[in-house]
Amino acid sequence: MNESAAREKEIVLVDLLDRILYKGVILWGDITISVADVDLIYLGLKVLLTSVEKAEEMRRQTAVKVLNCLAPSSNGGSRS
Amino acid sequence: MIYLYAITDWSATPLPALTGLEEATRPESYPYRDIAAVISHTTTTTPSPVETNLWQHEGVLEALMTDRTILPVRFGTVLTDEVVLKDVLETHYADFAADLKRVCGRVELSLRVLWEDEGSTTTLTGAGGRCEEHPRPSPPYLLPTQSWREMGAEASGRDYLLSRLEAERQRQSLLREAKTLAAEIHTPLASLSIESTYQVLHTPCLLLKAAYLVEREQLKAFRQEVGGLSVAYPALRFLCTGPWPPYNFVTA
Repeated sequence: MNESAAREKEIVLVDLLDRILYKGVILWGDITISVADVDLIYLGLKVLLTSVEKAEEMRRQTAVKVLNCLAPSSNGGSRS
Repeated sequence: MIYLYAITDWSATPLPALTGLEEATRPESYPYRDIAAVISHTTTTTPSPVETNLWQHEGVLEALMTDRTILPVRFGTVLTDEVVLKDVLETHYADFAADLKRVCGRVELSLRVLWEDEGSTTTLTGAGGRCEEHPRPSPPYLLPTQSWREMGAEASGRDYLLSRLEAERQRQSLLREAKTLAAEIHTPLASLSIESTYQVLHTPCLLLKAAYLVEREQLKAFRQEVGGLSVAYPALRFLCTGPWPPYNFVTA
C-alpha cells in the first residue's frame, strides 16, 4: 500500500470511529456517560471509549487549562 | 444476548448473507409492525471495540443500505433477550418510524477541511478569486501568550496583561476568519443536502468538520461541488468520505 492509500485509509478510519462510537441510535441511558459535556461510550465495567479525535481534543483542552493556570505563576515549581 | 446493528424499514426482500460480529450468529431481521431490527445472537455482553469488529459492524450496515433504509445503531449495543428488544422497538417506534422516513433514499457524507499547517503565512484564495494574506492558523485554543517568567525580569504586570490582550485579539481575529471561511465552504454544500451539521475549529487544525444528509441522486453533484471548492481554495485540504449510514441524522 502506498503512502497516499494508507493515509486515505486512516482518514476513513477516523470518520468511522467518529460515527460508530459517537453517533447513531443510542438505546440505553447507561451506555453513554458524560463527563464535562463529553459523551463517553460505556462498553463494560472497566472500558471507557470515545472517538480518537474527541479524546485528543479533551487531552488538549485539559492541557490548555493547566497551562493557563500555571502561566501567571512566578515561581513555576514543578509537580511530580 | 442480542447484538443490535440497525433499525430498518420493513422489506419483503430477505437479508443478504451477512457475517455477524465475533462469534455472533448470522444477522437476521426481527420485525415489529412496519419496521425491523437487525440482530445477531451472541454470548458476549461487551464486544471488543477492535478495528476488525468496528468494520464488521459497519460492513453489516453498508450491506443493508444497498436495498433498504436503515438507522445505524451505535457499536456495542447488546440487549438481554427478545423481550427487551421488543420493548425497545415498542417504546421507540414513533422515533424510529419518523427517522426512517426522514433518511429514506438518503446517505451521509463526511467532510473535513484542514487549514494549511506549514509556513508562517499562507495565501487562501477565496471563491471570488480574491487573495489575502493570512497569518499561520496557529491553534486558537493555544493562545500565543508568554508566561510572566518567560517575558524576562524587566517585564511588568502591565506588559504581561498587554500581551494577553494582544493574544486574545489575534485569537478573535482568527476565529472570525475561520467562521467566514467555513461558511463560504459549507453554504453551497448545505444547499445540495437535505440536512447538515457542522463545527468550526473542532480541533485547531480542523477548520470545518461537517456531515451532510444527501439524496443518493445528488451524490455526484455534491462530490463535484467539493472538487470545485478544493480548486477554489488550494491552501486548504478537503477530505470527503462516504456514503455512510446516516449516523449523524438519527434522533432516537
